[in-house]
Amino acid sequence: MKRSAVLVVCLAVLFSVVFAAEPIKIGAVSPLGDITGKESTRAMQLAVKEINDAGGVLGRPLQLIIMDDEMKPASGAAAIDKLATVDKVDFFVGGMGSGVHLAEIPALKKYQKVTVWIGAADHNCENAVGADADWYFHLHPWDYQQGEGYGIAWTEIAKAYNIKIEKVFLAYEEGAFGTGSYTSYVDFFNQAKKGQGSWAAVMKQFVGASFKSASLGGGDYRAILNQAKSFNPDLFVWAGYDADAVPIVAQAKEVNFTPKLFVGAPPGWPANYGKNPLAENVILYGMWSPTLSDVSPAAKHFFDAYVKMYGEEPTGYFAPLGYINIYFLAEGIKKAGSLDKNAVIKALEKVEFKDTALGEPLKITPSKVVKHQGFKYQKILQWQNGKQQVIWPLDLATAKLVYPFSFKK
Amino acid sequence: MKNRTGLIIAVVGVLSVMISLPYYSGAYFLSVTMTILLNMTLAVSWDMMLRTGQLSFGIAGFFGIGSYVSIVAVSNFGVNNVVSIFLAAAFVAVIALALAFAILKLRGIYFAITTLALTMVFSVTIRNMPTLTGGSGGKVLYNTIFNGDTTKIYWLILTMALFTILLSIVFEKTRVHYAISSIRNDEVVAKSSGINVFKYLTVLFVITAMIQGVAGAIYTQQYGFAYPETAFSLDFLMLPMAMALVGGIYSTWGSVIGSVVLGLVAEYLRLVMPHGSKIIYGIIVILIILFLPKGIYGTLESKLRTTRNGARK
Amino acid sequence: MNAKPFHLNRTLLILIILLVVIAIWKPVALIYGFQRGGLYALIALPLALILGIIGILNLGHGDFLTLAMYIGYLLFENLKIDPLLSMVPLFFIFLALGMGIYMITIKYVLKSGELNQLILTFGISMVIIQMAELIWTTRPRNLYVSYASSSVSFLDFSVGTYEFLYPALAIGVLIALRLFLKKTKLGQAATAVGQNPRGAEIVGIDTNRVYFTVFSISIGILGIAAGVMLPRTSIFPLTGSPYTLKSFALVAMAGLGDLNGILIGGITLGIAEAVIQSIPGYGGWSDLVFFGVLLAVILTRAYRRSES
Repeated sequence: MKRSAVLVVCLAVLFSVVFAAEPIKIGAVSPLGDITGKESTRAMQLAVKEINDAGGVLGRPLQLIIMDDEMKPASGAAAIDKLATVDKVDFFVGGMGSGVHLAEIPALKKYQKVTVWIGAADHNCENAVGADADWYFHLHPWDYQQGEGYGIAWTEIAKAYNIKIEKVFLAYEEGAFGTGSYTSYVDFFNQAKKGQGSWAAVMKQFVGASFKSASLGGGDYRAILNQAKSFNPDLFVWAGYDADAVPIVAQAKEVNFTPKLFVGAPPGWPANYGKNPLAENVILYGMWSPTLSDVSPAAKHFFDAYVKMYGEEPTGYFAPLGYINIYFLAEGIKKAGSLDKNAVIKALEKVEFKDTALGEPLKITPSKVVKHQGFKYQKILQWQNGKQQVIWPLDLATAKLVYPFSFKK
Repeated sequence: MKNRTGLIIAVVGVLSVMISLPYYSGAYFLSVTMTILLNMTLAVSWDMMLRTGQLSFGIAGFFGIGSYVSIVAVSNFGVNNVVSIFLAAAFVAVIALALAFAILKLRGIYFAITTLALTMVFSVTIRNMPTLTGGSGGKVLYNTIFNGDTTKIYWLILTMALFTILLSIVFEKTRVHYAISSIRNDEVVAKSSGINVFKYLTVLFVITAMIQGVAGAIYTQQYGFAYPETAFSLDFLMLPMAMALVGGIYSTWGSVIGSVVLGLVAEYLRLVMPHGSKIIYGIIVILIILFLPKGIYGTLESKLRTTRNGARK
Repeated sequence: MNAKPFHLNRTLLILIILLVVIAIWKPVALIYGFQRGGLYALIALPLALILGIIGILNLGHGDFLTLAMYIGYLLFENLKIDPLLSMVPLFFIFLALGMGIYMITIKYVLKSGELNQLILTFGISMVIIQMAELIWTTRPRNLYVSYASSSVSFLDFSVGTYEFLYPALAIGVLIALRLFLKKTKLGQAATAVGQNPRGAEIVGIDTNRVYFTVFSISIGILGIAAGVMLPRTSIFPLTGSPYTLKSFALVAMAGLGDLNGILIGGITLGIAEAVIQSIPGYGGWSDLVFFGVLLAVILTRAYRRSES
């Protein structure tokens, strides 16, 4: 009895020493019911735990307060209000959907706290934030940056593997996400016709067609797959959601459509996609893959730590992005030496990571409108024997491109 | 007499609390209150139509049209933000009036599915008019109403909610009420006793559609953007309906109570359990329907009536 | 209501002519539409039963379908039961589930008005969706069977064969339901209840037993639909939800109580959708066609009735 009492007292003393300092409060807003939000906030908690175990930041522990945005605009905005006025957080992090973020932006502007956002790729958000919001840091690539990146990637891949890419077909889901991709492809095509832009060398012809995503009650792609088949593209890209991933390949097989490069660009992938025989050699756009552990120590550290803490593998890039979200902010605070807003902004501008959980470096540069943009491009990956192998950037490649795409008999 | 002064004092008290809310409540509570008032407006307006016996599934449709008229007026044609709300009301009224002639002959589930199908038609049409509406890519408003001053936006929403409640009470207390409930109870009898059924239905359909359009316009002005998916979200249909039922249908106060109760419950659940709070929310809705079939207000009212009757005996 | 929907009237003639025109103009769209329309009809049939006989619009309809697909997925993953075989256990599991749901909820709202029933099923829908989200997350699951993407080539097109199962099953279920309603005592009672519940009660029909049976069978049929959909559908918490609205639309289009009309209507809507989707650049309007056809049918019928 006595001994345990002593132990309790000792522990209490220890805790009071470590946590005597007022914690630095970080407010996170994310859709917890969605797999992306669930994993990104888990990864954030992992980062916070690691940082606190190592003594915190400026001698103070980090405290993460997470609010669910329920994927509803009004709930997202109310969450910002709650974190700012009730919890009195010092910083905002998080994010996923663009529609919710647009409703949060007026609230974020009201408080003008340093905000590091990992979601919302829609350039509408960038316009709504505006150029003078120096407190706003955006890590996820904007839609048009991603499009630019793919052009660079295909140009480099065409050269490295000596492949001809001229005809591009985009199948896009008819909602905001897919249509956004389509308009950016049209822009690049118009530039390419004049010999400009990153797609100039790989887009002689371009056709796009929309479909209704399975996640919104659609799921019949045969009409557009037939259109694509008669166009006979070198590069076939579909921009939809994770629910489209398997049915679209299955139906491509059914209508006997085998483009040489079969690319999917959903924000996430279904469970066990790699195990599906239809997935073999499908190419995907994404920011992260477990195989990055082979080429990047930071990615390996993140992956192992996440698996150790939660007993399961992260499924998408929002997990490493959430992890970076916290580390990036913590690094800025550390560099600033205080929580002073202007000092933190100045410090964050100078933060530079050589390697991150996404396997690539991170440095803040301006984008079209906002001053503080983090990552610019996505990666190009390919399913090979059930694993996502990195094909591009070429210096991070974990495997060679398998070309051309075909269905196993 | 005594009762009436008591009522007036209560009303003035509640009103002054509501009007002065921005001065002592935090931004968070204000934000939650605005969402509740929005849903309250939709719930009351839906119930007003329901009192005629017509089950409308068109809330989200008129809400979405109001949203888009308002945002297009401001960002494409430079209309003043406040004026755009009236414009939305007028536009929705015209559409509702035109539709009234086609669809108010329908009854029961046919009326319900038609209003729901119209919601889909509106949403697809707006999605396929990208030059005007921004299409699927949505539209963002850069000069928000009152420059984003939350206090003023709150008063605007409060005005909308109070106006709707007042209108609903007026309809309950006046001759209109008898006409409406007789239509609901037996349309043939109503017709034979000289009530112009179609006229009353049209008036109510247009007015409630206008209210829903205004709610959409204000919502869009508040958050400064519109996507087809969010503006026509069926959340704006199902949640108000659930609120009206949980509170008690065929009465103004039922919808008011239902929206306050469910609004606060939903927010509280979100705070205390980040994962799976909506399961509890769903179970609460189920339990209330099972155990209080008349809704909270309906049950209270009938309890009150029985005790009163008992006292009289 | 409409006892002889197959008699040759003007509408049907126009329909047949239209089909011939489409068959020449867009043969592939006709096939796709026929397949998808069969699926719409298969899923709408149980909704029509519940709405037509019990008078409840079940907003959880599509979510029961979702749940059935998850169970089917588990049967496949853990017990290696082929999805087409799993239709049998799924039918019985969901028959039982339907019984349970009826006993603990539906039974108590029969007398309390259609709106209470509506919101009750809305609550059930919400609970199912959220539970699925909590247990299986929003990440879709798929199962792979090689026969699901098999096809035959004709002319220069390759057409999938699997989806012919949809209309086949829809016709099968329709025939079975009609036999049940016509030939069995309980079925005849159900028809009577659907046409006039008060009258049926006076005649001495145990309406509660009828409702119980109809509700459970309907939920059971969703198990069959889930089984046949499994090989070609991504399973996630909202998979089934859109089918609630589509089924409701179909039932309204066919008219309450007209089960044959659901099959005809489903295939008509499926073909209309497929034709629009096959025209390059107009795919985005296919939803409008679906709801446009629905509105046209409901409104013309209403006017014909008010004229006569």
